[in-house]
Amino acid sequence: MLVSQTLDIVTTAAILYVVAAGLLIVFGVMKIINFAHGGFLTMGGYSALAVSDLGLNPVLSIPFSFAVGTVAGMAVERLVVRPLYSRPLDAILATWGLGIIIGQVITLIYDRGVHFVQSPISGAVLVLGEEYSKYRLVMVAVAIAFGGALALILHGTRLGLVTRAVIMNEDLARGLGIDSGLVRFVTFSLGSGLACLAGALITPLSSVDPSLGISWLVNVFMLVLVSGVSLFSLGVAAIVLGGAQVLISSYANPVYGSMAIVILAALLLRVRPRGFASE
Amino acid sequence: MSDSDASAPAEVAPAARASPRLGLLLLTLAGLGLVYVSPLVLDTYTVNVLTRSLLYATLALTLDVLWGYTGILSYGQSAFFAIGAYALGLSSTHVGFDYGVAAAALLCGVALAGAAGALAGWLAFGRGVTPLYVSVVTLVLPIVVKQSLLSGGLFTGSSSGLSGFDSFDIEVENWFRIGGVALVLLTASAWLFVNSDAGRVLVAIRENELRCRYLGIPTVTVKIGLMVVAAMIAAAAGYAYAGYTVVVSPELGGFEFGTEILIWVALGGRGTLLGPVVGALVIDLGSAYLGGSIPYVWKLFVALAFVLVIVLMPRGVAPLFGAVGRWIAGALLGRPMKETVEEAPRLIPTPPRPSQRASDGAPSVEVRDLRRHFGSLRVLDGIDFTAWPAELVSMVGPNGAGKTTLMRCIADGAERSSGRISINGHDTGHYPPERCVGFGLGRKFQTATIFDTLSVADCLRVARARHAAPSMHRRDPILALPQAALDVIRATGLDRMLGVEARHLSHGEKQALELAMVLALEPSLLLLDEPTAGLTKAERALIGQILMRLVSEHALCVLLVEHDLDFVREISSRVVVLHQGRIVLDGSVADVVGSELIRSIYAGAHG
Repeated sequence: MLVSQTLDIVTTAAILYVVAAGLLIVFGVMKIINFAHGGFLTMGGYSALAVSDLGLNPVLSIPFSFAVGTVAGMAVERLVVRPLYSRPLDAILATWGLGIIIGQVITLIYDRGVHFVQSPISGAVLVLGEEYSKYRLVMVAVAIAFGGALALILHGTRLGLVTRAVIMNEDLARGLGIDSGLVRFVTFSLGSGLACLAGALITPLSSVDPSLGISWLVNVFMLVLVSGVSLFSLGVAAIVLGGAQVLISSYANPVYGSMAIVILAALLLRVRPRGFASE
Repeated sequence: MSDSDASAPAEVAPAARASPRLGLLLLTLAGLGLVYVSPLVLDTYTVNVLTRSLLYATLALTLDVLWGYTGILSYGQSAFFAIGAYALGLSSTHVGFDYGVAAAALLCGVALAGAAGALAGWLAFGRGVTPLYVSVVTLVLPIVVKQSLLSGGLFTGSSSGLSGFDSFDIEVENWFRIGGVALVLLTASAWLFVNSDAGRVLVAIRENELRCRYLGIPTVTVKIGLMVVAAMIAAAAGYAYAGYTVVVSPELGGFEFGTEILIWVALGGRGTLLGPVVGALVIDLGSAYLGGSIPYVWKLFVALAFVLVIVLMPRGVAPLFGAVGRWIAGALLGRPMKETVEEAPRLIPTPPRPSQRASDGAPSVEVRDLRRHFGSLRVLDGIDFTAWPAELVSMVGPNGAGKTTLMRCIADGAERSSGRISINGHDTGHYPPERCVGFGLGRKFQTATIFDTLSVADCLRVARARHAAPSMHRRDPILALPQAALDVIRATGLDRMLGVEARHLSHGEKQALELAMVLALEPSLLLLDEPTAGLTKAERALIGQILMRLVSEHALCVLLVEHDLDFVREISSRVVVLHQGRIVLDGSVADVVGSELIRSIYAGAHG
């Protein structure tokens, strides 16, 4: 019981981390909440479905969904997000509308029905005498890979250096000749790619339907707000709030558990507006 | 008093002023007529659908006042609608329907929604939270409401909700008329409200909340009050919805429905009242007619239009229709129609009254052992200082000496790390700026801080809101200002520009307007942060004269942060030198100007 509960907390946090990562980098760099994130998650789920419908190896859905998301993100950045840089609240609304558009287009192509995607890794494994889902454990590795890769890009590449400059002081960075428009473009495309990839990765855990993304959107939005712009504090937030969700669901009632993240995050932001961020 | 120059253009005002109100009356009557006739000529299906649309339009109206006028972006109006709807559904299902129960349910639903609105507002507008936080709270609220309804088991009917309960025995046509009359009257009242002097205060809060608080306006209270009223109206609409459809479901309380309301408002045109109402009616009617045959395409179309409007037409489509309407009217009349220009009110001086100076001869401001640190950085390190009425104290010192921080600590009780400050004998404790203003404080910021989209007259009217409660339903044709504010306005020529939007003013005029706004508060302690920065020599001399007269004639205590030492020498009665968070010199102009110390500080030689 204790083992499986601990594993539940760790894997739930890992899944939340994977789903939130794309939203975090867009918010961190662009100071814009991308509510189309839910739409991109849905798009990723259907990308995985398409790969599986074609009878291809499910592993192919990883590069495919990432590519789909990145290309869609490029278009969205150019057409919708760029004109709204100076109007962040309007950007939330426009990207929300975009999420609806993505959902409706998917509904027109497929239907409103629920689909299931074959998991590349199935079955359970014995952990300290408890049987546990292999795929959920794999998600922990995926989360670490997501965090590690993003940290590596930010701290080990020239693009990352430039991006950090834009995060700290965009005006100054522009004054130093950094093309902040390009940084925003790359960030948004990458964020969308990650969102789509996350949508594909969670398909073995949940069904695929047009409202796939919406159910995750508000939770990860809250996680991103309480974690500031840090990849590390996103991990802390995912473990603390995801853990609360698991514990409340099992000891109290799953409905309260489903509200745990949003309520706790909202209260935390009230007493400590910077949330889990350190400075 | 030379009012004659200002009164000349105001002669025509009453007639011109009456016309929009007459227009409103005619429009209201036309609306009521339309509401009465529509059920007679439309088919039953359309009347059925439109009845629902009218209730939705009421929701859109409440959101427009919150978002379009006051800038409170709420995703949660749906939650209040659901509270009202379930009040009737639950009472009728579990208690049974009779008029007493129904009336009690309405009262409970509206009261509960009001309480939820107050709670949401109290959470959303706390100190130090980001503007995004309003969105967070209004997202969480509908999620909580919807999940609670979903988990209510047999009591709330869970996901299928409640249906088929007993309700009012009213025919469809009359439900339509009830909803229609309510909507027309609410829209007309909302129009009167947002176009009144009080409505200008809402816009001022949207434009610059900090300035409002330093004008002594309790903005948090105003916003919470608005949330409560909007919540109560939304709940009443929800109650009518339940009474009419006899179906309530948890989706009514979800944030998806909340964002749908946002879409109606944005498409119709936020901040136009009529736009959101028409937007809600058209989109809901459209989804009823087209949603059946091409369900996904209609929703797709609405979402596409929504994104386009947000990106390309931030004010929605209503201004477009307004422009087209004016163009058509202009073509018919053979002359171009202009947008209605604001009539300037007539300026009069307020009767002189005793200022808020403490009677027992307390100092205007008394600072004891004030400290302010940011982490390990000590910006103010043990400041002791007192200033009295009729003193003009200049604070000088190099950049980073702590001058502006000292001003901020005096003006806002939450700013300091330790120490004690009192204004006119009142301890400022941890009080916010609006309370400090109540003790007689007036603060002018370093950069001119005014309300860009308000006219000069409206900026001044908002500044007077603390003394003269603004009317909730009309524009006062008279603007009474204290003599000191009038002097500034007349000396700078602003009295001839009362109808001009503040953002069109020159830099110097903006500075003068802000000074006049602060003086309209009738402060006894005036804090000025570099009032002459960026002004021409003539403007600077004028401001200097005005300040000296305020001190000598009105016995104000003026604290001034200034870099221009010539200006300081001309006007000050006392000079305080700050350096590295401490007061290093406090004396007469002669003492300071001749001092070796100040020369070395400014030259950077002194540590």
